[in-house]
Amino acid sequence: MSGQTAIRIDRLGKRFGAGPLVLDDVNLSIETGEFVCLLGASGCGKSTLLNLIAGLDAPTTGSIDVPAEGAAVMFQESALMPWLTARQNVELALRLRGVPRAARRGEALELLDVVNLADASEKRPHELSGGMRQRVALARALAQDRPVLLMDEPFAALDAITRDLLHEELERVWRRTGRTIVFVTHNVREAARLGQRVVLLSSRPGRVAGEWRIAETTGRRIESPEVAALSIEITEQLRKEIRRNAA
Amino acid sequence: MPHDATLLDEREAAARAAAAATGPGRSPEASAHDARDRHDDLRSLEAGLDRLQTSPERAQSAWRRFTTSVLPPILFVVALIAAWQLYVVIAQPRPDIVPGPVDVFNAMLAGWESGRLQLAVLTSLERGVVGFLIAVVVGTPLGLLLAEVKPLRRAIGPIISGLQVLPSVAWVPAAILWFGLTDATVYFVVLMGAVPSIVNGLIAGVEQVPPQLRRVGTVLGANRTRLATLVVLPAALPGYVAGLKQGWAFSWRSLMAAEIIAVGGTIGFGLGSMLQQSRELADIGGVLATVLVILFIGILIELVFFAPLERRMLRRRGLLLGGTR
Repeated sequence: MSGQTAIRIDRLGKRFGAGPLVLDDVNLSIETGEFVCLLGASGCGKSTLLNLIAGLDAPTTGSIDVPAEGAAVMFQESALMPWLTARQNVELALRLRGVPRAARRGEALELLDVVNLADASEKRPHELSGGMRQRVALARALAQDRPVLLMDEPFAALDAITRDLLHEELERVWRRTGRTIVFVTHNVREAARLGQRVVLLSSRPGRVAGEWRIAETTGRRIESPEVAALSIEITEQLRKEIRRNAA
Repeated sequence: MPHDATLLDEREAAARAAAAATGPGRSPEASAHDARDRHDDLRSLEAGLDRLQTSPERAQSAWRRFTTSVLPPILFVVALIAAWQLYVVIAQPRPDIVPGPVDVFNAMLAGWESGRLQLAVLTSLERGVVGFLIAVVVGTPLGLLLAEVKPLRRAIGPIISGLQVLPSVAWVPAAILWFGLTDATVYFVVLMGAVPSIVNGLIAGVEQVPPQLRRVGTVLGANRTRLATLVVLPAALPGYVAGLKQGWAFSWRSLMAAEIIAVGGTIGFGLGSMLQQSRELADIGGVLATVLVILFIGILIELVFFAPLERRMLRRRGLLLGGTR
């Protein structure tokens, strides 16, 4: 990797109104082109952190530096416009990015081909399966052409077979496009399967509670022994963090 | 390779073996080839899963649509007329109070031959449609404004909802005092009937727009106006169309009421006037014939205009399952 910092999070704190601290003293720096998984139990502020990085919300204390071009975001629900076809949904992102009308159609079809959905380009969201909808959402996020891609539990609502396949798809898209990806999940195996780095957040308030770097990321599968071994290690730490809340 | 390779096809197994064989010393061409192979595998796998998880759309045959949605109401109406005729034949009621279907049909025919029926239908239809279109032009921007500007909605919303409950016939006396017996009176009453429905429909539609669609619009970089035109308005369309439909129903009803009450002056001869005239002549056949014509026009507008529009919109959004109507 190039070694340049894409996202720098410095002593970040966040609270909503007069409520409790959601994020406390989070320090993280993410390199350009890196694939980072943010992992944590419920209430660890993963999604809050993602919204802060996306600029959808402002930090209470500390600072976040993101590339000037901003970030693309993908959510758990595909949130496709139900009245538009798959192609038109991607074209909407291109239009809002300022791509001239004549170029939109071709570019949208190209992006749909990247996620292997060229044949379904004229279908509407309700005619697509959950996995296909998330792939359209991925194509739409890629259409934004931002260096950073933020993903908020994008595969959580999918069945295991589809999720497994989408892991491979996402890994391939990442290698091909060189995007910096921040992937939020509560699934330990998913994090161990996908990330170059797994960042564990503690809950209430969210703090960085552990970090794992994975040296060899090619050829990983959800059933690979090294993924399983790392999952056990991370799970142990995660449970320790959760148990602290019992006291 | 573990035993699970036997579950996969040969190409997949070969690709996995190749992937397993790649070590630190592999050549770049070989690894590029592997990557392409793996990509092809992924593609076929994904295509298979996509096929399994979606079902092809079943198109309903024209004959089936005829037998399930056109035939039943026609049969019902025929049965109704038959029962009516049977009653008239068996019970022999006074024909000036309960006429038979043939008498009503003859009254309709007489109206047609004298040209009064055509005149009344044209006059009423023209007023109904023009009044409705004015209501759309007035109601749409008003609805948008109220939907997007919260303080305004808090102030005016309850009054608009109240107006929807108020029967618009209640405005007829006031309208006659303000505008006299002119077309303006009729249009005023129609507007008071239709505008609140359209405004409320649009507000309800905007309110039901899923928040994640707005969020996506913002993430994609839409400013306020583009968010409204490219995301919120199309998303609110089902509610808007429902409001339009109700608005038309209210226009038509208000129009008939206004025409019955306000007769004379420069107000032309509409279906309501015809109804009133038949009553004054104690012509029950003519009254019932006119009622049927009014009903028929209402159904016709619904069938040829609103129903296809609504069905098309709902089907495109997957909100209508395989032609139940």
